[in-house]
Amino acid sequence: MKNKSSIKLKSTLAGLCILAASGVAHAQDAALDLSMPAASKASHSFILAANDTPANLPASVTSSTPNAEFEPAFFTADNLHQYAGWATLALVAGAALSAPGEGCEANCPPNPAPRQTNGTHAKIAKAAAAMAAFTVVDGLLTHWDDFHMEDGFSDPDNLHVMLGTVGAAMMMYAVNKSANSTTPVSHAGIAELGGVAMAVAVKLTW
Amino acid sequence: MLKKFKIVALMTSALFLANAAYAGETAGEWLLSFERMKGVKPVTDRKYAKECGECHFAYQPGLLPAKSWEKLLTPQALKNHFGDNAELDTATLDEVRDYALNNAAETSWYKRARKIAVSTANGPAPLRITETRYIARVHEEIPAKMIKGNKDVKSLSMCNACHTQAAKGVFDSDTVNIPNFPDWD
Repeated sequence: MKNKSSIKLKSTLAGLCILAASGVAHAQDAALDLSMPAASKASHSFILAANDTPANLPASVTSSTPNAEFEPAFFTADNLHQYAGWATLALVAGAALSAPGEGCEANCPPNPAPRQTNGTHAKIAKAAAAMAAFTVVDGLLTHWDDFHMEDGFSDPDNLHVMLGTVGAAMMMYAVNKSANSTTPVSHAGIAELGGVAMAVAVKLTW
Repeated sequence: MLKKFKIVALMTSALFLANAAYAGETAGEWLLSFERMKGVKPVTDRKYAKECGECHFAYQPGLLPAKSWEKLLTPQALKNHFGDNAELDTATLDEVRDYALNNAAETSWYKRARKIAVSTANGPAPLRITETRYIARVHEEIPAKMIKGNKDVKSLSMCNACHTQAAKGVFDSDTVNIPNFPDWD
């Protein structure tokens, strides 16, 4: 069992390393400082892209350079959803890594050991499902305006909502299925699918 | 176990391929990148930044679909670019247009660019960013006094008046600071 967990952990770490290395390889050039050219022309008195045709634009259109001192808040209602999503994925990973791999569904010995339903794996899995549910509810409350069916299923926010909701539901179903069974029951597949759905949902809007 | 992983892999692949259908960059690049891609791709071409940014905020190409840039960036169109003459020499125009087309909304994996691509897929090419359904929708509830009636903003086209990280392609509401309305939200 220990070997199995060790292999799982190594595979996860290797996967993370490859992802990190690829991310570095694909990192793009830093954004150019767009404010400089415009700022240098602050004395010009014309505008070329009055995109919503306002009346009487000021002479110095570049005077609206934003306050560089403005610092976005670290914690807001909007980004609470983001942090909750990360926490969910971390808990999903924890649940997967702590899976005991015990029990059997076929060819079981005559007197199997009593099933552990309140161990580390069960606790982390329940926390993951609860956090997933919280994330979905929080997302619906704080980002409801981003969800518009008129944009169809290819819209990234619509996909995010659907995958996140389905993923959370699958995780809760898996936890419920396992917790209410006195015999070993297969639930890892549906829980993993739920976790993957949530991870893809995060990636789509990252 | 193997069957289970095959199902997961198949579903994941199907999803990514479905997205790849409307984005030109490879799905692998997008999938394996940890780079934040929630806004639009920042401008990385110096000529584009210089030529456009001399007169106004150098709007990222991902803010409009290719069909819009094709209409906007022609010698004829630039003679009357929203009321001004913005003519460029042929070589410069070619470079600016190529950059815009190669980074237009539908070619990007950045989230807001994809949303703009989706919202402009059908119908005529919008010539103004503010005409796109997505951009219009996310700004529709902002009172006029904060934009047109705001002496430090004046127009919705002045993205960087309120979006403090617009130059980086970041347009999150958390980064919005409307001049003269610190508690706008």
